[in-house]
Amino acid sequence: MTNNPFPLSKDELLAAYRTMRTIRDFEERLHVEFAKGDIPGFVHLYAGEEACAAGIMMHLTDIDRIASTHRGHGHCIAKGVDVHEMMAEIYGKSTGACRGKGGSMHIADLSKGMMGANGILGAGAPLICGAGLAAKFRGDGGVGITFFGDGASNQGTVLESMNLAAIWNLPVIFVVENNGYAESTSVEYATAVDSYVDRAAGFGLPGVTVDGTDFFAVHEAAGEVIRRAREGGGPALLECKTIRFFGHFEGDAQTYKAKGENDYNRENRDCLRIFANRVTSAGAVSEAEISLVDREVAALIDAAVESAKGAPLPSPRELLTDVYVAY
Amino acid sequence: MTPKVGIIANPISARDIRRVVASANSVQIADRANIVLRALAALRACGVEEAVMMPERAGIAGHVLRGIERARAHGEDRFPRLSFLPMPVTGTVEDTRRAARLMAAAGDIAAIIVLGGDGTHRAVVGGCGSVPVAGISTGTNNAFPEHREPTITGLATGLAAMGLVPARIAFADNKKIEVSLDGAPPEIALVDVAIVTDRFVGARALWRTETFRELYVTFADPEVIGMAAIAGLIEPVSRTEAGGLAVTLAPTAATRVRAPIAPGLVEEIGIESWRRLPAGAVLTPALAAGAIALDGERELFFDPHQQVEIRLVDRAFHTVDVAAVMRFAAREHLLVDRPLVDA
Repeated sequence: MTNNPFPLSKDELLAAYRTMRTIRDFEERLHVEFAKGDIPGFVHLYAGEEACAAGIMMHLTDIDRIASTHRGHGHCIAKGVDVHEMMAEIYGKSTGACRGKGGSMHIADLSKGMMGANGILGAGAPLICGAGLAAKFRGDGGVGITFFGDGASNQGTVLESMNLAAIWNLPVIFVVENNGYAESTSVEYATAVDSYVDRAAGFGLPGVTVDGTDFFAVHEAAGEVIRRAREGGGPALLECKTIRFFGHFEGDAQTYKAKGENDYNRENRDCLRIFANRVTSAGAVSEAEISLVDREVAALIDAAVESAKGAPLPSPRELLTDVYVAY
Repeated sequence: MTPKVGIIANPISARDIRRVVASANSVQIADRANIVLRALAALRACGVEEAVMMPERAGIAGHVLRGIERARAHGEDRFPRLSFLPMPVTGTVEDTRRAARLMAAAGDIAAIIVLGGDGTHRAVVGGCGSVPVAGISTGTNNAFPEHREPTITGLATGLAAMGLVPARIAFADNKKIEVSLDGAPPEIALVDVAIVTDRFVGARALWRTETFRELYVTFADPEVIGMAAIAGLIEPVSRTEAGGLAVTLAPTAATRVRAPIAPGLVEEIGIESWRRLPAGAVLTPALAAGAIALDGERELFFDPHQQVEIRLVDRAFHTVDVAAVMRFAAREHLLVDRPLVDA
């Protein structure tokens, strides 16, 4: 009997945990640092949703494109964007992924297939249709993934993109990260038919709902929809029912959440804890190996914050450089 | 006061990966609401004056209430009074379990109409005690709930709830399988328990046949789909006869059966052996570690140090026997109104 009963090797399990731990520590640290007032603009934290990004992105390579959201740090990290460059970007420094001119909501790294976080809700969906069309023309087997939340799902851009992806049979996956709140508005209030699978069905796309706090559920379902798209099977929708530990933005008092909701979620629905418990209890990974990842990630985040704080701001002379990118 | 009928409509059934790896259907929220309205109208036609529904936040309730309001606005009295159970909504299977428990505890619910697949019915049966269940298929495999127009299910449930049909005709006994892990309170399955080599729950559904090892079924009907179809195609066992069937599966076995394990997914399965599964006998899987799928969905996993016990239970719960009720209704003219004096 093997002591690794999972569909991933031990190295892959540890890589998945490292990705999720990196996202968590990155966001937890930003929560602290943002309160100090040194970070310009807004940040929207992804903590609690790590299993979605990690479970999906493990199926992708650099030829695959993703279009992210305003809550994009987790997608960036899982897609392989450099953590030092991300942190510097959020601090608005010239060493950032976009030379400090994008900030939290516009981190991009085309070399990694990361087309950008996006400050416009639902804007990633038409972008990914373009990427999907390019992949289809190139015939390289690449796929495009767009992420959006339950709020953005009501944007016309998302619905039009589903239609476009369907009629052109694009290798595109629409991922709804349904954390229950569109800013402060509940899904139940703002969405006429609360099933995003129903939305997909309206355009002839298959839709799947999974528990977004279970890495293995996301990974398994994402693997199937992505494989289908690579093989020419066309677009699909994946709804990950997830949670966010923090507010919509940093500074959000979260008065719309039930009393104790965040504490309950951290105690019972923490995707990192669920993952670590499962792989260690099955004997696939030791607790010492998990702890080692924790320490290494903590050191990485410390170093990223330190280097970001110490890096120079962009020069005023560079105001108009790096703003447009030739694709 | 007439008896009440409970309604549990699961908004999240039929949403899993089988829409991608197979060709499973996706019953939309508006369709589910329409089904509830059809069942409610049928209940009212039988004299049921009050129904109680599980609350949910996915849109079924809203559509149902709008339908009732529309009828009222047109002066139509087509539906029973509808109320919702006072309970929190989590959007998980726990809602179904809690609603079933509350309906059983209420004491005045004569039957529960359930919209869902095998998993939803399993969750209801886990909590509804002796209250009979009337199933309507809105899930993926739907081996347990019979395929039938919901209006007819509503009529049969209404007639049974109103006491117009003798209980021995109106209600049928059903089997279940209990699965206990390390002596914990058992989980149940209404149709099948499958042991697979995966040791994680993941996306829950079963479709990778190379992982299939053992199968235990309460009934084996060659007309159903899902894991029970495998058993149904080698030795049918009816819902009403005692005991079930135990099947040992092996990817390399010489005996092969082409079975519809999901909608549109007919796969070749290796069969090593099979035998009748008597009620009450406690069985232990031969596989040392794996996942346990209840009614087609991986729900539990077990490691080598854990003890799994499987036991079939006869006469475990009641369902409304829709076919028997409707035959009785026709024979006894329960739905026929005649003038007192011939014209």
